[in-house]
This record gives sequence, C-alpha cells and structure tokens, in this order.
Amino acid sequence: MAMITNRRKHIVVAMTLIAPFVFIFALVFLYPTVQMIGLSFTNAPLIGSGEWVGLDNYRRLLSDNLFYTSLKNNGYFVLLTVVPTTVIALAIALAVNRLSGRMQALVLAIFFLPYILPVSVVTQIWAWMLDFQFGILQPLLEWMTGRPVAVFNHPGWVMPTVAAITIWWTNGFNILLFIAGLRNISSDLYEAAALDGASRRQLFMKITWPLLWPVTALVLTLQLILQLKLFDQVYLLSGGGPFNSSYVLLMMVYREAFQLNNGGYASAVALVLFVLIMVVSVLQFQLLRIGGRK
Amino acid sequence: MKLLKSIVLATATCATATSAMAQTNVVWWDFFVGGDGQRMKALISQFNEEHPDINIDATSSEWGVPFYTRVRTASAVGQGPDMVSYHLSRVPLALSEGILTPISDSDLEHAGLARTDFYERSIEAASDDEGTLYAVPFDIHSIILYYNKSYLEGSEYLDEEGNLTGIESLDDLNAALALAQDNGSRTPLSYQTGGPGGIWRIFHTLLSQQGGTLIEDGEVLPGDNFDKAVRAIAIMQDWGDNDYQPEHAEYEASVALFTSGRSAFFINGVWEVPTLVDMQEAGTLSFEWGAIKVPTLLEEDAIWADSHAFAIPIQGSEEMSAEKREAVMTVIGWMENHSLDWAAAGHIPAYLPTAESEEFAQMEPNATYASLADNAVYDARSTIAGVASPVYDAALNVIAPAIHGFLEPEQAAEQMRQELQALLD
Repeated sequence: MAMITNRRKHIVVAMTLIAPFVFIFALVFLYPTVQMIGLSFTNAPLIGSGEWVGLDNYRRLLSDNLFYTSLKNNGYFVLLTVVPTTVIALAIALAVNRLSGRMQALVLAIFFLPYILPVSVVTQIWAWMLDFQFGILQPLLEWMTGRPVAVFNHPGWVMPTVAAITIWWTNGFNILLFIAGLRNISSDLYEAAALDGASRRQLFMKITWPLLWPVTALVLTLQLILQLKLFDQVYLLSGGGPFNSSYVLLMMVYREAFQLNNGGYASAVALVLFVLIMVVSVLQFQLLRIGGRK
Repeated sequence: MKLLKSIVLATATCATATSAMAQTNVVWWDFFVGGDGQRMKALISQFNEEHPDINIDATSSEWGVPFYTRVRTASAVGQGPDMVSYHLSRVPLALSEGILTPISDSDLEHAGLARTDFYERSIEAASDDEGTLYAVPFDIHSIILYYNKSYLEGSEYLDEEGNLTGIESLDDLNAALALAQDNGSRTPLSYQTGGPGGIWRIFHTLLSQQGGTLIEDGEVLPGDNFDKAVRAIAIMQDWGDNDYQPEHAEYEASVALFTSGRSAFFINGVWEVPTLVDMQEAGTLSFEWGAIKVPTLLEEDAIWADSHAFAIPIQGSEEMSAEKREAVMTVIGWMENHSLDWAAAGHIPAYLPTAESEEFAQMEPNATYASLADNAVYDARSTIAGVASPVYDAALNVIAPAIHGFLEPEQAAEQMRQELQALLD
C-alpha cells in the first residue's frame, strides 16, 4: 500500500515538473503545427483564413518544377555536408584529444569559435572573403582555376561553397560531442589492448570506433536534420541562384508565404519538408543503430 | 547607473509633458536610408518643429521583403504604423493583400491636394483598376545614364559645352563604349550586374523600348514579347562579351567602378546623384561628370520607373480616427509642398506644382533628365511584379547567369516565362 501511494506521489511530482514544458511546447509548437496542417488544406493568405481546397496545394506541389529542383538541391547539400562534417569533426576531435590541459582548451575554443557567430556575420565574412572584385580568397581561386570565380553566381560552385562555409561554421559543436564521447571511453581499455600489443590502427578500429559509434550516429542524425533545414546561408549568399541551382525547400516556403502571400501553399511545402525530415532522420537513426549493433 | 536613471526619468517626464499638449502622434514607417534617409529625416524634423500639434514618430528600415512583410503583418493585427512609404510598383500586391485604405478626394482636400496635381502615370499606378486611389505619389525615380567626361574628351560625343550628345541608338552607345574602352576605361559601362535591381531595371527598359511588356492579361511574355525579351537579354550579354560591363558587380562595387573613374558610363538610379554631388563638393571625384536620361537605344522612348509614395495602412479591424487621419493627410500635404528638398536626392517630384516650378527647372542635373517622367514605364501591374518581387528575383536568378554566359538568351527567357507563369497560374 505504501508503495502505491509513493508511486502516485512520484507521478504527481513528475507531472508538476514537466507541466511548464508541456504547456509551452503545446503553446508554441504543437498548436501552431496543428494550425499549419489545417492551413495547408486551404487557400489562405499569409494572414487570415482561407477556403478549404482539400488536397489542391499538394497536387500543385507535385506539378511544381521548383519543388523537384529544391528537393534535389536539398539532397545535394546533405551529401556535401553530413558525412564530410562528421569525418572532419572526428579527425579534429581525435587530434585535440591528444593535447592536454590548457593547450587542449585553447585549441578547442578556437575550433568552437565560429559556432557562436550568428549566421549573418558568418555570411558577411565569407561573402567579403570570396567577393569577386575585392575578395581576399580570389587570388587562391585564380591560382586553382586560372581565373577569378564569382562563386555564388556560378552554378557549379555555389552549393559546394555554401557547404564548405556551413561546415566551417557548425563543426565546433560536432567536435565537442566527439570529445565528450572520447572522454567516456575508459583508458583501461587502451592500456589493456596496448599490453596485448595492439597497433594504433587496431586501437582505433577495435576500441575507439565501436565505442564512439553512438555519438557518431547522433552527430550524423543531428547533422541530417540541420542540413535539411538549410535556408539562411543560401538566402544571404546566393538568393537561391544562379538559375535555381541553390534553391531549397525552405526558400520556397519563404517565397510563397512572405513574397507571394500564399499562406496555404507555403504551409503545404513546409509540412512536406517536416515529414521528409522526420522520416529520413528516424530511418537514418534506426539504420545506424542496427549498423552499430553488428 | 545614475545617469541611466536620470535619462529614463527625463524621458518619462518628456513623454507626459508632450501628451499633456494633446498632440497627435503619427507613427511613420519608411524605407529611406543612406542619402534618401538623411533628407527625409531633415524634412521630418522640420515638420515636427513647424507643427506643435502633430508629432511624426518615424522609424526607418531597409526596403525589401522584410519591410513589406512587417508592414503587412503589423497592420493586419492593428499594431502597424499610421502611414508608410510605399513603392507604387508594389501597389498591385498591396491591393490583393487588402492592407491599404483608399484615399478619398476629401482626404486629399485636407492635405490641400488634388489628383490633377500629380503626373497622370503616377496616379494610375497608385490606383486600382476602378480608379480608387490607394497611395499619394511623392516622386518618380528612374535610371539615368551617368558619364565621365574624361574618357570622351575631343570626341564627337561631347558638345561644345562638354555635355554628352549624339547617342541616339544602340549602335551609337556601343561605339561610344568602344571608344571609351580604347581610351583606357576597363569596364566602360558599369551597372549592378550581380544583383536583381540593376539588371531588372535595364532589362525592363530595353524590353519597353521595343514596345514589349512582361505580363499581359495574366500571361508572361505572350506572343512576340518573348522575342523582345530575348533581344533585350542578348544586348546585355553582348555588353558582357565585349567586356563593356563588369562581371558580377554587386551594387556598391558598380557605384565604386564609376566614382573611382574606371567606368566611362554608368546606368543607375537617380538616387546616386547626391553621392556624386557630395563627392564633387568634397573634392574626392577625379573627373567631370554629367547625367542624362537613358537615351532611346531601340525603337521607342521608354524608361523603367517607379515611385515612392505615401499610403495609409489598415489598423487591424479598427478604423483610424478622423482626427488621426486628418493629421496624416496634413503630413502628406506638407511633404508634397516641400518635395523640392526631396528632389535634391535626385528624384523627380511627382507633385506637379514642384516639378513645374522655376526652382526645379534650375536644379541640375535633375532638370536635364526630368523629361523622363513622360516616358516612365512602371513595372507590369501584377502581384508578382514590383520591387522585391519574384520578377526581381528572376532578374538575378535567370538574367544574371545569361549575361555572364551561363545560359543562352532564349533559354533564359524561356525559364523566366515558365517560372513566372507558374506563379501566376
């Protein structure tokens, strides 16, 4: 009997503790989301309500060329960022992990610094460094390709450049996650393996890599979600051009909602993106977990 | 901390003091920054000094999608301003959004104005299809051709007084560009080739000079308008192929190319006139310059133009009080009567009593290009056209790659037609 009352008490306490979060979550996330889903079946403008049009917005989306272009660009960007940023972060984390004390803190801080910059600052810095007329990096590009390149106006250069900037900007956080993961691996394991004569390569392949896998899977998943939500960088650096070669789904949402006053259609695009991110990330995380268990 | 406290206290006291005087507060939002912004701020403070009963509470932000989104969302919920600056090219979209209130003849009377006081084209652009007025035009601004005399000295292109002459066709202009290039101008024709505004304005001018329009009856580039668009893009591409125009020049770079003396010609808005006037006065300009209205390069006399105007947005579900509305109209009337000061920013006043005044006729270089008001061609009346619209985006997204050689003019025109048409359907 005492156990049960105790349990009840526990539940009450737990509920009280999570209530503020649930309330705010419901207010600023759940409620708008439900509203948005409803909106996507109407022809509502940005402000105010519209008429029910059923699946019209979705039908329109499927015949919208820009949707497929954007989808493709989103995919391309994910390819350019997710795995590269994870590999780079892991490499840097392994290197930083070998340092100790203040030196490690200093180097870690340097790698983390770009992450605290707001996106507008990041894009300003890079837009100037890569400016076609005055950019400090143009001589480098000229040396590589034989002539200066207006990277944000070139269909071949724009996405890789935005990807490189994004990796530079966000990598610090991934490094931090990897460092935390590495510190969690007990040094006993390395010592024992070293006693048995394991090589550096074996240490990495047999101890570090498998034990770090949960963190790697987490980083990959977080990155996937983050990079699918690409908007700020392309909006500020290339505006989606040239000829839509950097147009992405969120830009479509922005244009439909704020430039063209089509709240309903914008909601439909947003919802598709939401579902896409959810499905892809859950799928990826599950696959990675299965991969990790082997 | 003490200082901060006293400031807060002082502000609070001021606030109570002013409200005690039964002053009408007019909340004003505009997008005037830079040279325009300085002139507008001067006008506003002069107005506030002269009118103890009305206080303009002004906020400025950069023009573009964010400005217009803010106006729309704030007005729709009744948290918006009492008056806003507006581009007339943006009126069609505003009408579909229903965020502007009609301006009646009696409103105009309160301001001491009448419809006939303005250029007819600007009134048309400020009205809906039934002729109801939704904004009061303030100026007409367009692109003009700036030139650097040093590259043309001794040539047939300068008359006895040293003014640009003899450019009556595209061939003339191209010959003058070639001459300037031979005389050492590296990019003889500067304009914003890396951004939407500069490209759109020139494209639209070249299209209009062939009698073409972008959107007719809900169709993008119907009939031979398509070929005209192709020709306009081809002309701009040709300037690129001959190295006449800079590659991927952002707005500031395009201005710098001219002011630093590298470009012999420069096509940009009248709003850069103050920059050159100021530089000349400060002695930082190394050459003599002039500006004329963009010549008729093709068949017809036509130039892209837009207008700044004043409008009164809705107040959510509330009505604006009659007293407040009168105050707003007083502000608008006063501004129109002082539009000569605004003309110093390069613009042509939309208010005819100013535009036809003796003082404006004396104002240079405005007087030289003022006649463009008669050939002004506003952007197509469509919800997808106008400043910061998908049409502007298309200029950057499709025409810019074409003039840099990534797309053929036909491909660019076709892509533009498809994309914009999809937005209209």
